[in-house]
Amino acid sequence: MIEVAAGFVAWLGASMVVLADGRRGLALGVAIATLGLAVLVLQDAGPLEAAAIALGGLLAAARCVSSGPAGWQIMPPGSTPRFVLCVAVGVLALWIAFSVTAGEGAPLRFAVLTVTGLAGARVLLGADAPALLTSVVLLALAIGAAAGLGDAPLGAWPYVAAGAVAAGACWVPVRVARAA
Amino acid sequence: MPPEAIEIIAFAAVALVLVLVVAPATASRRTLAVRGGAGLVGTVAIAAAPTFELVLLVLLALGVLQAAVAGNRPFAVRLRAPVLAVAMLALALVLARVEVPDAVGRFAAVGLVAGLAAAIGLLPYIQPFDPEDPVTSSPVAWLAFVGPVLAAVIVAQAQGLLGPDAGGAFGTLLIGIGLLNMAWGTVASLWTENGVAAWRYSFVADWGLALCGLGLTVGDGRRAALLVLFGILLGRLPLYMASRRALRERIATDRPINLVVAAALAGSAPFAGFAARVLLLRGATQLFWPLALVLGLGMLLWLPGSLRLGRSLGVPRGRQAVGVAIVLAINVVVGLYPLPLLQAARL
Amino acid sequence: MPSVAVLGPVVLPLIAAAVIAAFGLAGVDLGRAAAGIGGWSSVAALFAVWVPVRSSLELILGQLGYGSAFDLRVDAVAFAFGLMITVPAAVLLSLQPRTWQESALSLLGVAAAMATVEGGGIVLTAIAGGTAATVAVVMLDIEDPRAWRPSWALLLAGWLALTWVGAILQVSGGTAIYSAVPVAAVTAPVFVLIAASAVLASCMFPWRTWPARLWARPSLRAAGITVGVLYPLGFYLLVRAYELGDGRYPSAWFNVALAVVGIAAGAAAAARAQAAATRREFLGEVIPGFGGFALMAIAIGTPLGLVAGLVLLATASALVACLALLPDRAGAASVLAIAAAIGLPPGLAFGGRVIGIEATFEAGDLLGLIGVAGAAAWVVWMVGGARAIGLPGGRGHPAAETFPRVSMLIAALTLVAGPALAVLHFGFANPVAGEVMPSAAGALAGGLTAVVTVSSVLPVVTLLVPLLVIAMATYAWTGTSAIHTQARPALFPLPGAAALDRARTAIRAATVPEQYRSIFNIRELEAAAAGGSPVLWLAALVALGFAVTR
Repeated sequence: MIEVAAGFVAWLGASMVVLADGRRGLALGVAIATLGLAVLVLQDAGPLEAAAIALGGLLAAARCVSSGPAGWQIMPPGSTPRFVLCVAVGVLALWIAFSVTAGEGAPLRFAVLTVTGLAGARVLLGADAPALLTSVVLLALAIGAAAGLGDAPLGAWPYVAAGAVAAGACWVPVRVARAA
Repeated sequence: MPPEAIEIIAFAAVALVLVLVVAPATASRRTLAVRGGAGLVGTVAIAAAPTFELVLLVLLALGVLQAAVAGNRPFAVRLRAPVLAVAMLALALVLARVEVPDAVGRFAAVGLVAGLAAAIGLLPYIQPFDPEDPVTSSPVAWLAFVGPVLAAVIVAQAQGLLGPDAGGAFGTLLIGIGLLNMAWGTVASLWTENGVAAWRYSFVADWGLALCGLGLTVGDGRRAALLVLFGILLGRLPLYMASRRALRERIATDRPINLVVAAALAGSAPFAGFAARVLLLRGATQLFWPLALVLGLGMLLWLPGSLRLGRSLGVPRGRQAVGVAIVLAINVVVGLYPLPLLQAARL
Repeated sequence: MPSVAVLGPVVLPLIAAAVIAAFGLAGVDLGRAAAGIGGWSSVAALFAVWVPVRSSLELILGQLGYGSAFDLRVDAVAFAFGLMITVPAAVLLSLQPRTWQESALSLLGVAAAMATVEGGGIVLTAIAGGTAATVAVVMLDIEDPRAWRPSWALLLAGWLALTWVGAILQVSGGTAIYSAVPVAAVTAPVFVLIAASAVLASCMFPWRTWPARLWARPSLRAAGITVGVLYPLGFYLLVRAYELGDGRYPSAWFNVALAVVGIAAGAAAAARAQAAATRREFLGEVIPGFGGFALMAIAIGTPLGLVAGLVLLATASALVACLALLPDRAGAASVLAIAAAIGLPPGLAFGGRVIGIEATFEAGDLLGLIGVAGAAAWVVWMVGGARAIGLPGGRGHPAAETFPRVSMLIAALTLVAGPALAVLHFGFANPVAGEVMPSAAGALAGGLTAVVTVSSVLPVVTLLVPLLVIAMATYAWTGTSAIHTQARPALFPLPGAAALDRARTAIRAATVPEQYRSIFNIRELEAAAAGGSPVLWLAALVALGFAVTR
C-alpha cells in the first residue's frame, strides 16, 4: 500500500512540475516526486540507494527555489492542456504498469513511466531554462529508480549517479553568447 | 566496454587532433580543445558505463552541458532533443526490462531507435540549426563526435535488452530510419541554400548508411557501420572544420583538391566510404537483396551534394593543407585495407 | 618470373606519379618526359611479366577486409587489355604537354585502370574501376572546369553495380575470384547485373554519350587519357564474364541481346557520323562506332567473334591516341585517320569487321541478321567517312598538343597492319579466347598468315597485301590537294533526332505548376523537417509505433 501511495506521490510531483511555471511550484514538484521515488527505491533497493535519490532530488529542489520566475504559478491561465496531459499520462502509465506488464514492482514501473513521460513532455512544452532543468532532474531520478526494475541487481551506482546528475543539473550556468 | 566502442573512441581522439590541426585560424583552438576534450571524456564515460542507466545519465549530463555552453540557439532548443532522447530511451529501457507481451516489447525497440535518432539529431528528430553556431554547441557535435560512440553502445546494449521479436523490429526500424536519412540527407545537402546546412545534411546522409549497417543482423552490416562511422569521424568532421572559413566567406573553388575531397565525401573508390559500401551491399544481399538494390541506387545520390561540399572547402594552405592531406591519406589506406580496423573491433 | 612482378604495371606508374607530384610540390615540373617514362614503364612491365612465360602469373597477399583477397594476376586477358590501356596513354603522356598535376593524375588513372584488369576478383576490379572513373572526373575538371564532362554518377554507376555483383557472388558462391566462382553462381540475374555494369562502364548506348562527347572539348589532353583508360574496361568485364561462365553466358539470349545493343550503338554512331557538321564531330563518333562493332563481335559467344572484337578494340585504342594528337585541319593526317577509322581495306579495322561479321553468320539464327545490320552500318561509315574528308575541321585544339605526324603514323600503322591480322590473332587475341573459353579454344587455328574459321579460310596476307599496294598507289596518284572543306548535306537525317530534341527541351523546361508550388516547396519542407516541432516529433514516434505493430 505504501508503494502504491509512493507511486501516486511521484506522479503528483511530476505533474506539478508540468503544471507550474514559478520557482516555488517547480521546487515543490521536484521535492514531491523525489519523495515518491525515494520511498519506492527504499522498498525496492535499500536505504543507501534511496538516500542517494533523495539527496540528489532535494539539492535540486533547493536550487530550484532560488532560480526561475518568482512565485508558485501553479496552473496559470491556459494550463488545461497540461492538466489533461498529466491525467492522460497517469492513466496510460497506470494501465501499462498494472495491466500490460507482469511481475512484481508495478508501483515502481508506474512511477518511472509517469515521471519519465511527464518530464519528457515538459521539455517539449517549455522554453524557460529553470523549468527545463527541473525536467532533467526528474528524468535523472526516474532513470535511477528504473535500475530496480531488472532481475539482476545493479548495485548502488545508478542511484548515486542519478542523484549526482539531478543535484548538478540545476546548478549548471546557462549562457547564451554570439560567438562565431 | 564493447571493442567497437573503444575503437570509435580512438577515432574520436584522432579526429579531435585533426580538427585542431585544420580548424580555421580565427577559431579559438583552446576553446575547441577544452570542449572537444570534454566531449571525448563524455564519450569515454558513455562507453565505459557498465549499465544502460548509467549510459543514459551520462548522456543526459552531456546534453545539459552542451546546451549550457555559449551558442546562438536558445537553451531550450539545444536541450530539447537530448532530453527527449533520454526520455525515450528510458521508456524503452522500462519496457525492455519488464515482462511484456511480444507486441508491447516491440515498443522498446521503437524507443531505442527513436531515442538514438533524437540523441544524434537524425530524422525525424532533426534539431533546429543555426549556421553561425560554433561547432561545439551546434547539432554537428552530436552528429559527428558523440553520436558514433553512442550508437555503438546503444546497439550493443539493445542486443542484451531485447528479445528476438523486438530485436527484429529494432533492426528493421534502424534500416527504415537509415534509408529515410540517407535519402533526405543526400537530397537536402544538394538543395539547401546554406553551405553549412549542406554539410550538416551530409552527416545525416552518412548516418543513414551507418544505421542501415547497424540494422542488418549480419556481421558485414556492423563492419560497414564501423567504416561509415570512421568516415564520419576521420573524414567528414575534419573536412567540415577545414571548410568553415571558406563557408563563412562564401568561397567556392574548383581545384584538384576540391574534387578529391568531393570524391572522399561521396564514398568513391578508393576511399573508406567505398569499402563501407561494399560491405553494406554484402550484408544487404545476405539479408534481403532488394534492400541492396535500394542502397545501391541511394549511394549514387551522394555524388552531386559531395561536389558542392568539396568546392566549399576553398583552397587549404599551410597547416590546413597538411591536415586535409592526412585525412585523405588515412581514408585511402582504410579504403583499400580496412581489415586491421575490423579485426581490432573483433568484427 | 616471381609473382611479385605483377605489381609492376600498376606500381610503376604510381611511383612516377608520386615523383612528379613531389617535384611539382617543390616547384619543379618534370614535364612530359617523366610522364612518358611512367606510362611506358607500365607497358614494359606488362611485357616483362607476360612474354617470358605466356601463362597466368598471380600474386595473393591475404585478405583486405571486404571478403576479397589482394589478388592480382597477369594472364592473357589482363595482358591484352593492359596493352589497350597503357600504350595509347603512354603515347599521349610522352607527347602532349601537361601540368604536373595533370601528369600525376593521368598516371594515377593508368595505374587504376591497370589494377582493374589485373584484379583477380570482381570486388577488386570494381574498386579499381571506380578509382579510375573518379580520377578521370578529377582530371577532366582540372583541365577545364567549364568544358563538358560526363556525370560522375554515370561513370560510377557501373562500378557500383559490379560491386554488388561481387557481393552477390561472395554470398552465393563463396568467392568472387574470376577463376574460382562456381558456374552455377553466375545466374541470369547476376549476369544481367554484370552486363549492365559493362554497358554503363563504357557507356555503350545508342545515343551520344561521353566516349563521343569528350572529343568536342577545347583540349584533348584529359579526354584522350579518359577514353583510353576507361573505354576498354566495360568490354573487359564482358570478356571476363565468359571466364565466370566457363566459356559462355548463362543463356544464349544474353548473347543476342548484347549483340543487339552493340550493333545499335555502332549503327547509331554511324548515323550520327554521316550527319556530322565538322570533321571533329565525325571523329568523335569513331570510338563509339568501334565499340559497337566490338560489342557485337564479343557478344556472339564464339572464339572467332571474341578475337574479332579484341582486334577491333586494339585498333580503337590505337585510334584514341591518333585522334587525340590529330589537328583539326585538312591534310594527309586527317585522311589517313578517317581511312583507318571507317575500316578501309586493308586496315586492321577492315579485317576485324570482316571477321566479326563472318562470326555472326557462322553463329547462325538471329545473330546472322545482326551481322547484316553490322554490314549495313559499315557501309554508312564508309559513306560518312568519304563525306567527312571534305568537312570543315572543327573548333581546333591548341597546336602544342597536336602532333600530325605521329597521328598519321598511328593511322598508317593500323592500315598497313591489316595483312598482319593473323599474327595479331595468333599472338594477341587467341590466348585471350584460350583463357576465357578453354573448351572452344581449339576452334581457333590458322597460324601467322591466315585466319581459319569454321566455314572458310581467310588468307589475310595473300588477300590484303595486294590491296595495300593498290591503296598506296591510289593515294600517291590522287594526293589530298583536291580536297575542299565545306559544309555538306547529311546522307540522311537522324531518325527521331528532332523528336528527341523536343522531348529533351520539354523535360528541361518542365516546372511544378504554380498552383502546386506551395505543396512541393523544398525550402518549406526543410523548415518543417528541421524545425524541431514537438508535434512532428510526437507524430513520428506514433508512426514508428504504428509501424512495428504491422
